[in-house]
Amino acid sequence: MSLDYVKFTPGFGKFMPKEYRDMVDHGPFGKKTTVSQVGSFKEIMEEHPMCAGCAMTLFIRLAVIAFPNPEDTITVGTAGCGRLAISQAAIQFVYGNYGDQNGVASGLTRGLRLRFGDKPKDVVVMAGDGGMADIGFAQTLHSWFRKEKFTTIMLDNEVYGNTGGQESGMTNQGQVLKMAPLGKKFEKMDMLGMAKVAGCAYVATVVPNNPRRVESVIKKAVLIAREIGPTYIQAYTSCNIEYAIPTEKVLEDCNVVEKDRYKFEEYMTDEAKECLSQLYGYKEYLPKPAKAVEQK
Amino acid sequence: MYLVAHIDVDICAATSCRLCTQFCPEANTILYNTEAGKDRGLKYGSAYVAVDRCKGCAQCVWVCDNMAKHNAIKMEMIDQIGDQALTENLTYSEKNCTAVLASPVRG
Repeated sequence: MSLDYVKFTPGFGKFMPKEYRDMVDHGPFGKKTTVSQVGSFKEIMEEHPMCAGCAMTLFIRLAVIAFPNPEDTITVGTAGCGRLAISQAAIQFVYGNYGDQNGVASGLTRGLRLRFGDKPKDVVVMAGDGGMADIGFAQTLHSWFRKEKFTTIMLDNEVYGNTGGQESGMTNQGQVLKMAPLGKKFEKMDMLGMAKVAGCAYVATVVPNNPRRVESVIKKAVLIAREIGPTYIQAYTSCNIEYAIPTEKVLEDCNVVEKDRYKFEEYMTDEAKECLSQLYGYKEYLPKPAKAVEQK
Repeated sequence: MYLVAHIDVDICAATSCRLCTQFCPEANTILYNTEAGKDRGLKYGSAYVAVDRCKGCAQCVWVCDNMAKHNAIKMEMIDQIGDQALTENLTYSEKNCTAVLASPVRG
């Protein structure tokens, strides 16, 4: 929760594991690191028990790299595959009991603002489609309606991946799964539409086949949530086990799905654009000068 | 035995794409040595794999073959690829990460 927290107590560094020392000395804490530099610095996410080739893991890895101030960030998760990787990052992680993650994040954000005032402390919720759109649906929506200042990221694998393949609200209509043998009867929930209606200042979809875009989207969402209000990112993170995608074809699947039903979409309020341009130097959101009217 | 990714330094160091480092689902697994290949006149440095972290998904192979079109990565049996990078032998420095190679089977 601060740069000092990750450093060693003087004299104890030599007793720490090498990977911990590397993270403190050559990690991204207190520095500006980007996805394009990856491989040259020690990442703060570490070895995790997620399946080989999991797109969700790839997305979480990129998201953690993209956090603007990782030393001042707290992640909140819930039951599901994703928390197995999120909790392996050297960032404070809070486990919200199933469905509670946005309620927990609301209290956490308010508490941090009371304690630290204007000093940025970012709260980022990362949970699956089941935890967010089904079981935690009410808490997710209410946190948005209350304009809580934190980022919500849905890891949408369109299935309950680690309980055997049940359909979720985010599964596509007609999809047959191991525990949905007749196919899903209802449409995929429009969480993007609901996020806009509920007043999220920034809403985006993303697929992890474009690391630079993932980085850009996460950074913007966290910065806007810090200043303006709730932000929502919906990331397609396929389950290669339940959807039987060979691991070497996971990114090919990302490309196909992106072209089909997960096209990149970004929505931002005018207030959010002003925030990014005025406070964080995003020149592309500066108001465009009015064109001179031609005199006839 | 099992398969792990192996990167051909001569092909990789002739390019500067670094795509495989960005697309690996495992953190701190595909690393980048900016000095690799320079003794042979190759100027960009090369990616390499900390094989004790590699889960063998072969996404990097797909990325290298289909996105970068360099065909520099192959999946190989861990006991047949000779000395490799291991996490315990990595040395990070300013904007670089090098490794002392060792047998992945004996350590």
